[in-house]
Amino acid sequence: MSIKSRSLFKSYGDLVAVNGIDLDIGSGKIFGFLGPNGAGKSTTIKLLTTLVPPSRGSIEILGIDAIKNPLDVRKRIGVVLQQPSYEPNLSVEKSLEKYGMMWDVDKKTRKQRTDELIDVFDLGEIRKKKNEDLSIGQRRRVQVAREFMHEMDLLFMDEPTVGLDPSARRNLLDYLKDKAKAGLTIFYTTHVLTEAEYLCDEIAVINKGKILAVDTPDQLKSTFGQEKTIKIHLTNKYDDLVSLLLGISGCRIEFDTGTNIIIQSSKAEIVLSQVLSILIENNIPIEDLSALPTTLEEIFLRMVKDTNAPNN
Amino acid sequence: MHPTIRLVNRNLTISLNPGFVVWQVMFPIVYIFVAGFAYTTLIDSVKLGDVSLDYPAFIASGMIGFNIMNSTLVSGIIIWNDRRHGMFEQILVGPFKRSHYILSNVYTIAIVGLISATLITSIGFPLFFKSTHFNLLTIPFLIFASVVGSILFGSIASIISTRLRSSEGFNVIINTVFLFFAFVSTAFYPAQGAPEPLATGFYLNPLTYLVDIIRAGIFGTFNEFVMLEMIVLVSVAATLFVIAINLLTKLDL
Repeated sequence: MSIKSRSLFKSYGDLVAVNGIDLDIGSGKIFGFLGPNGAGKSTTIKLLTTLVPPSRGSIEILGIDAIKNPLDVRKRIGVVLQQPSYEPNLSVEKSLEKYGMMWDVDKKTRKQRTDELIDVFDLGEIRKKKNEDLSIGQRRRVQVAREFMHEMDLLFMDEPTVGLDPSARRNLLDYLKDKAKAGLTIFYTTHVLTEAEYLCDEIAVINKGKILAVDTPDQLKSTFGQEKTIKIHLTNKYDDLVSLLLGISGCRIEFDTGTNIIIQSSKAEIVLSQVLSILIENNIPIEDLSALPTTLEEIFLRMVKDTNAPNN
Repeated sequence: MHPTIRLVNRNLTISLNPGFVVWQVMFPIVYIFVAGFAYTTLIDSVKLGDVSLDYPAFIASGMIGFNIMNSTLVSGIIIWNDRRHGMFEQILVGPFKRSHYILSNVYTIAIVGLISATLITSIGFPLFFKSTHFNLLTIPFLIFASVVGSILFGSIASIISTRLRSSEGFNVIINTVFLFFAFVSTAFYPAQGAPEPLATGFYLNPLTYLVDIIRAGIFGTFNEFVMLEMIVLVSVAATLFVIAINLLTKLDL
């Protein structure tokens, strides 16, 4: 087990940032950690990387008690923090080289890895440029690349693709997949759900410091996404349609702009036939119709919305 | 390699960039050779105990203390820059303890102070050569002044770095501190003959004590007053050092 936490709790005064988190993350997995802003993702990373101690609870990283032996944990992990971190007056090449030195990587290996990473992360053109002269995206690429200068068993990444262009993003995700295949465990937070779906073996959704669900992306969709979404686009707006459709049970209907109807139901086929009957009976022409399975993003939004509801 | 040494290596790499080195050499050279000779017409000689110094020799020896202050204030800013650019947290999630980080900054500041003192001593040596009174205390005094002065000014920069968050506030404070230390001191001009409030102000400034000790080592003017200055300097440096370490230890992440 790479990460194991029990009843992890962290508060700052009256603010509870992490509220009783249990995690069991196996080796060689890419574990996605999703949640809205302020959900407790970064605090969880700070706890797991030993940057701040928990108020209570236990953390075991790579079999080591992270509260008693934080340095032993830090020697075996890599961390890409959410905030940028760089030495402004060092060149890209020198940044990588010095970071390797800080991790006690021998000179020959440092040189070899610097060249490799400059190639993998497409930093060739800017290798002599100083960090302070780089764009936000370039700086982020250097920050991510730098973390691979040293050996590690577990890598924490807090929204690493922020500021990256689509090709750099895909490049990074594929690189991470390769690393995971080679045995590296990755704890990955992101706001981009398609990214999590593409990359992660398992996903946890967190809100208000609590984990709402943990599962594989497919299992999450099958558990929480039994509903399908039907989108109907009408040629014209029909004022009476609202009252006609509201009579259908077992579904949620939203009228967007008057000509777009979005229906969500776990009995989509039955509901769809009823909707179509009403439209045909009333001679209402349809311009477009689609039925889609619920996306991870919709599941995520619904979970967060539910936990944000006043009675929760 | 020990984690603290690795961090010192990193600190020196980021501190000793070409711009910093040029500034560290050029600034005192201008003072020693331009102001030193230009002001000779205003200040003929300076009495230091039993020794009478010409002004270039006086300012060259003062610039050693000035440069220790100047360079260690800049090195102390490493903490500020690390916090500002996210490296403080990044280092602390790496294979280091907070004590490694703090010690590495102390060592860096002391090394930069020593290098700086050596550099300016070499540059200024031709000017104070004929007045130099080498004795058993010369080298120990210079090392004592470099180390204690570095820790003192490095601690001040570290305290400022831990307490301030905005760049504007930091720049205002550091420049004000620099101006006070640099010019309300005996580094550039003697206390004798200065208006009473200014002369008193000189002795509220640790740089005055630092340059007095350096001059005592170089020109052999050690006396009870210099002894007292050494005690004051060590006490202030120790107090500031403890405060700086305390603040760094508690620095929020």
